[in-house]
Amino acid sequence: MAQHEVEITISKTGEVKAHVKGAKGKACLDYVKWLQQIVGKVKSQTLTSEHYEPDVKSRIDTRQQVQDKE
Amino acid sequence: MGAIIILTPVVIASWPAIAAAVAGAASAIGLMVGGAVKESTKEEVKEKAEQQVEVELADSEVLAKDLAREKEIVLTKGDVELRVSRDSRGRCKVCAKGKGHSQQELKQMTEQFVQKMTQCFIYNRVASELKNKGFQMVNEEVMKDETIRLHVRRWED
Repeated sequence: MAQHEVEITISKTGEVKAHVKGAKGKACLDYVKWLQQIVGKVKSQTLTSEHYEPDVKSRIDTRQQVQDKE
Repeated sequence: MGAIIILTPVVIASWPAIAAAVAGAASAIGLMVGGAVKESTKEEVKEKAEQQVEVELADSEVLAKDLAREKEIVLTKGDVELRVSRDSRGRCKVCAKGKGHSQQELKQMTEQFVQKMTQCFIYNRVASELKNKGFQMVNEEVMKDETIRLHVRRWED
């Protein structure tokens, strides 16, 4: 489970600044498209370093040791 | 981090959504809703030959299915009357008129109302869509400069 956060500022003229946190790659771009559909035209867009990070996948390694009993 | 986006608002909605934003803006800047949604008559518009200003929301569209063209919302504050309606091209239009006020004053008042209405419209839309997408509100505040700040969070698989 990843935590996604959005900080949205609506100026008194209605202009919106949104800071998407925690979303990487496609998930991040999906938020950009979604906000565009809700608010209007994209004036500027900056993708931060987190956008380029790969999605975190959980991995569990299990190891078993077998010992011969004499 | 993720992304930082700046968006310019576009007001495209049916009349009820516009009316809700109009009511919110009117309340915020002390305008009285003079006649809710009503049918205007040409005589009403012609009465009182005072200063008149018209401001159109450039990036706006009032979806026509719920709105007859003659309908409008009338707002009043002292001697000033603001009429919010849909023009023939489908755009949202605000007309202000009032005795004892210069064109400049009326224009300033109309633009202030249009800005507030746009802010209310965007706030209503964003708040509703955030809820639909399953976001939880962490913090919401109105700053001294009238900016609204929302902080939301959700968990994604």
